Amino acid sequence: MNLKEWIFTTDHKRVGVLYLIGSIAAFAVAGIMALLMRAELSTIGPTITANPTQYNVWLYTHGAVMILGFQIPALTGFFANFCIPLMIGAKDVAFPRVNALSVWLFYVGVILALLTFFIPDPPDVMWTGYPPYSTITTGNTAMYSFTVLILGFASIIGGVNFLTTVAYMRAPGLTLNKLNIFVWCTLAAFVLQLIFVPVLGTAVSLISMDKYLGTNFFDPTKGGDVLTYQNLFWFYSHPAVYVIFLPFIGVVYEIIAAHAKNMVFNYKMVVYGGVGGIVLLAGEVWVHHLYVSGMADWLRIGQMVTTLMISIPVGLMMIGLIGTLYKGSIAFTTPMLYALGVVFLFLIGGLTGIPLAVPSLTIGVSDTYYVVGHFHYVMAVAGTFAIFGGVYHWFPKMTGRMYNEFWGKLGFWITFVGVNIVFWIMMDVGVKGMPRRYYDYAHFPQFEGAHQWMTVGAAILAVGFTIAILNWILGAINGKPSGDNPWGSPSLEWSTVSPPPHGNWPSPPSVAEDWHPYGFKKG
Amino acid sequence: MAHDAHHAEGHAHAHWDTSIYPFIISFGILALAVAFSFKFVYHNGFAAILSLGIGVPLIIAGIAGWTSEAMGKGEGLSYGAMGWFILAEAMIFVSFFVSYWYTKLHVDVWPPAGNIELPRIMPLVMTFILVASSLTIHYAEHLLHLGNKGAFRTWYLLTIVLGACFLGMSVYEWSHLIHEGFTIGTNAFSTVFFSVTGLHGSHVVVGLAIFLAGLPSVLRGDIDEGFMRTAGLYWHFVDIIWFFVVSQVYYW
Repeated sequence: MNLKEWIFTTDHKRVGVLYLIGSIAAFAVAGIMALLMRAELSTIGPTITANPTQYNVWLYTHGAVMILGFQIPALTGFFANFCIPLMIGAKDVAFPRVNALSVWLFYVGVILALLTFFIPDPPDVMWTGYPPYSTITTGNTAMYSFTVLILGFASIIGGVNFLTTVAYMRAPGLTLNKLNIFVWCTLAAFVLQLIFVPVLGTAVSLISMDKYLGTNFFDPTKGGDVLTYQNLFWFYSHPAVYVIFLPFIGVVYEIIAAHAKNMVFNYKMVVYGGVGGIVLLAGEVWVHHLYVSGMADWLRIGQMVTTLMISIPVGLMMIGLIGTLYKGSIAFTTPMLYALGVVFLFLIGGLTGIPLAVPSLTIGVSDTYYVVGHFHYVMAVAGTFAIFGGVYHWFPKMTGRMYNEFWGKLGFWITFVGVNIVFWIMMDVGVKGMPRRYYDYAHFPQFEGAHQWMTVGAAILAVGFTIAILNWILGAINGKPSGDNPWGSPSLEWSTVSPPPHGNWPSPPSVAEDWHPYGFKKG
Repeated sequence: MAHDAHHAEGHAHAHWDTSIYPFIISFGILALAVAFSFKFVYHNGFAAILSLGIGVPLIIAGIAGWTSEAMGKGEGLSYGAMGWFILAEAMIFVSFFVSYWYTKLHVDVWPPAGNIELPRIMPLVMTFILVASSLTIHYAEHLLHLGNKGAFRTWYLLTIVLGACFLGMSVYEWSHLIHEGFTIGTNAFSTVFFSVTGLHGSHVVVGLAIFLAGLPSVLRGDIDEGFMRTAGLYWHFVDIIWFFVVSQVYYW
């Protein structure tokens, strides 16, 4: 193996693998941060650190790295890079060098985020960076701003690249209604990235400008306004949920269709109603993050309506998944287990989100563990399960080898038990009044038992994820040869050899009139 | 499927395309971010200069190498891609303008204390120059399309000169205002004024940098039309944004 051909590669599959390695490393680091926080919270009073700022730094790293360093790069970096050109029958992306630039900018962003552990006064602004705290803290807010800016720029050029690729480089005969659901979902996520990431970039630039260059965007004594930041930040960060949701549900569609050997149910409704509806509504719901920040009542009602409305396209996508299972010949392989896990976890996360959309209900649980439990179910855990399932699903395509099915399933079940312990209890103590972000909970001694259960659950799920990651590493080294198309899928990425060579196909593929990525032969 | 994938096996050991320049540029950008922290957070001027001294040459070398490696090998897709990129760029300006309007319409007293009278004539002249440069680059593209390379070169250079004039006038105006005591920290309006005009100015710089990156090919006469169209599109975008900047921060 030629190391230079990996580091300086411009091939979309290798860039994708670089994204995967980086994001899994980021996942491990951010996961250790979560374990440290859980260890600290396992007893009242100082447990492993007596310094609350240290806890803040863990919280910052966990949130920022999980979202910006793991989920978004794994979904819009790894899966998009590896799968989209193969799914549309292209030899590579439109701009291979830009692609290499985006993966190395991603690494640079992650390096900046990890410098947190080595610099004096590390950033302690959580992943949100709200002023006025972020502009007066002694922590290094500039590091936070630059991490977000660089990762944001990487995702913008990635988005430009893939939108151009799918627009111009599809195989002859591959019409829009024959695109994989994953391709549709990821394109929609990229459109959202292009529209909303610049707003986040602006927001985080403004706090550093206020702090270091003496501007007055958020200084009320000079005519500025603090709430501007919250609006700009959530104008991106709510759509960011869909930037994560769309590709991960796309991955789940691919897994469920392939392992249930069934045509996607209601394809056009899923694409135009589900994906299209989410894109249309994504930018009109952010104010529900500001319900308790102070705003006009009429605005609260309007945002409640739009927030509840977006559950309609999301619901359409869930119906599509269930419908695809119906009358399919379901094989309970490891990827399928993860996909079904996503359906279950996302359902819990989705239903517990409805009360949060309603101002009268949300005020009672705002800033409690209920919110934390909800978003971990709906986005963090569901998204991570989809990523793990997707890596298992395309593992034979990437490596030409098979992972170990027994350890795969075992890892799934351990993780599944772990997440439900942690996050179900989290929602429960939240409703009973446990506030989030606290370093200590001496005022709430009644929750100590629950906190200890959550710590145990976190340890269990860490074991499960570790088994999965080890399974990939060992499978890539000495797994059994998988053959080119172990799942028997007609989707275009399985029509070339595994792993595909540079250029993907010896001659550009074209698709027949009656071909469809989900056209499984009925046996 | 019309083809047989197994024919690919013979190609499995074919070479894989590489390019070193994206890697170089990325780490140049890392050095810039580190330099900012050294200067403004840790107040270590020497370390900041050192990081800049590493970062800036890396980025310039990366861009130069990239341009010479890729020029003429494009597949004509950059024009469509630039459209998407401009969407993202436009959103940066949208967020600045919206937060400006939000603040302006939200607070009790506007303008805040410490404002001065902004010049009225200078921005009109600057508008005229920028619009002129948009027209010259459009005409240059037209000449290139007709194959008139000599005249194309003249109009291309004229565009660069006009862009540089615009930048020079911006710098003159900034220094004039700062001299009068109107700085970025004076109040919320001065903050908006300097950051929005500065943001636009940085886009002028990027536009000029694109033109300069293409200059060696223009002088050699092997510039490709796709590059010209894409660079021109970006320049028109910079021009159009200026109308918003000038109308919002100078005259409203």
